[in-house]
Amino acid sequence: MTVKIEVKEGGTPHNTIMWAGLLASLVCLYLGAGLNLAFNAYTFSFFGGLAAVCAIVWGSNTIKTLCSYGIGTGVPSTGYTSFGAGVIAMLLASRVSWYLAPIVLVIVAAIIGLILGYLANNVIMMKIPVLIKSTVELVMVGALVLMGLALMTTSSYSLLSMVSTQTSLLGLPVAGHAGSFIGIAIIAVAFILGMIAVQHPFNATLGPSWQQDRMLMLAAEVGFLTMIPVAFMSIAYLSPLAVIVSIVVSVGGWFYTYNQFLCLSKRDAAAWLDAKPIREPEGH
Amino acid sequence: MVENIVIGIGLTAFAGALASVAGAAEDVESDIGSQGDPNSQVQLAPQMGYIHRIFNKAVSGEPPAYGLWVALGAGLAAAFLQVNINPILALALGCAIATLVQGIYATTAYLGRIASLAKFGQPVYIDILKSMTTVTMAHAFIAIFTAVTMCYLMNAALGHPFPLALLGLVWGIALGAAGSATGNPFYGKERQYQNQKFGAGVPVAASGNIVRYAEAGERNSLDNGWFTAKLGGPASGVCFGLIVFLELWRTVLFESFWAGWGAIFVGLILILIFTFIDRYAEVWARETFGPYAKPEGAAK
Repeated sequence: MTVKIEVKEGGTPHNTIMWAGLLASLVCLYLGAGLNLAFNAYTFSFFGGLAAVCAIVWGSNTIKTLCSYGIGTGVPSTGYTSFGAGVIAMLLASRVSWYLAPIVLVIVAAIIGLILGYLANNVIMMKIPVLIKSTVELVMVGALVLMGLALMTTSSYSLLSMVSTQTSLLGLPVAGHAGSFIGIAIIAVAFILGMIAVQHPFNATLGPSWQQDRMLMLAAEVGFLTMIPVAFMSIAYLSPLAVIVSIVVSVGGWFYTYNQFLCLSKRDAAAWLDAKPIREPEGH
Repeated sequence: MVENIVIGIGLTAFAGALASVAGAAEDVESDIGSQGDPNSQVQLAPQMGYIHRIFNKAVSGEPPAYGLWVALGAGLAAAFLQVNINPILALALGCAIATLVQGIYATTAYLGRIASLAKFGQPVYIDILKSMTTVTMAHAFIAIFTAVTMCYLMNAALGHPFPLALLGLVWGIALGAAGSATGNPFYGKERQYQNQKFGAGVPVAASGNIVRYAEAGERNSLDNGWFTAKLGGPASGVCFGLIVFLELWRTVLFESFWAGWGAIFVGLILILIFTFIDRYAEVWARETFGPYAKPEGAAK
């Protein structure tokens, strides 16, 4: 039995969140890759994680819009779809130069999402009014999150940095692909991390007393939470300073958003009780 | 050649033992957190007027959630191994960080779901978070650590071609699926719905009417963990242990036949054998215990 979900009016309009999320995510990607190139450093890789946070916030609201049409238990599967298609767009886009890659990523993701959405809506006959638009958005979100996490782990989102390790041994550059982002399948971890992160905010706050600001705060929280293990994994590719900066940014952001989410939950909860018995409602 | 096979069989048995522990811990963890399909009734209960003190932490279905925890532990361990950290330390550190992520996800899932049920007067019992999150994290750590160690054995000792993190993703999803399929009937039917007849399903009139009071006082999720640790957990452990053991056993022994097709052929035979066992057990259980001996429609 699925839970009935009511469509809530009010709050920030979805299109505003969509454009804000897309632009902020792109800006963060460019900032991270550009600053890393300009200073020839790894320190700005954490911008990739921030790009992922922006995309996750946007994606959670898209899932909310899509799942208002009664997809109760299908919430996690929307995450799978978006990331399964997003990884294709991400790998294709990583072939072009750094200043074109994010734009190519968004365009390729939109095309894949359009095809998937058309197949789901018109061939499998799901007939959900917002399905095509939502699928396009979700594939973009998946691709942006994956590219952001790739940037955060390897300091760049080019294919070369994803399939080879850039570490130097005794001052000599050592090239190898066995320990790379794709070689030891860190990309699989990024895939499942992002996928759970995108579906979790709505999946965890669905119900009759759903509130948009609480869900978006939770989305930011899981975004920063996703950054923490990614920061630890970047230890294999980045300089110690860059890893420490990434950990400080992600833990700081997580702490703030988690605290805010606690406050919002306290605001919305029917009661906030500590070690109290069950309160039976009237008539039971 | 023979020594290789003997070592392979020994590793297979060890991996199977690790998988048994992982399956048992996974099931108890998910039952304490009320994850998996019985959670739909726990989620529904307050809407039907049954306020409860169950830890409702649905991060997602068990297979994707465990895919994440185990892949995360394996991925972190793989990254630590890249910087030449001792393998045992790398595995333990990776799994510890993955467990922290699991615990944080669990708290936000509980708070979010319960706060969204405010309309029906379901309060947030903050003591549930304090007392149960750590218990689920402890079980999750055992499940993640044994599963990641098993993947490491496959990768490093048995020479599996997949990298550690990918093995973690695949086996994590399998672990969650095994625990979900085997353990959830114990948790859902025998615990949350123990007031219904065996085999009766959940009729609409009983929707959300989960068992909320214990022998003494009110039932919480630790009681459910205690109950499922007795039968549901070990059953899930046997299930996942058998999956891992038979999978590796057929590969180690029969891969050399017919250029690898021998292992696939033995796998097909195993599937057939288990299909017959499952069918026999199901029919036997319904005829022996169930009130519905006749097919539906002819009942009563």
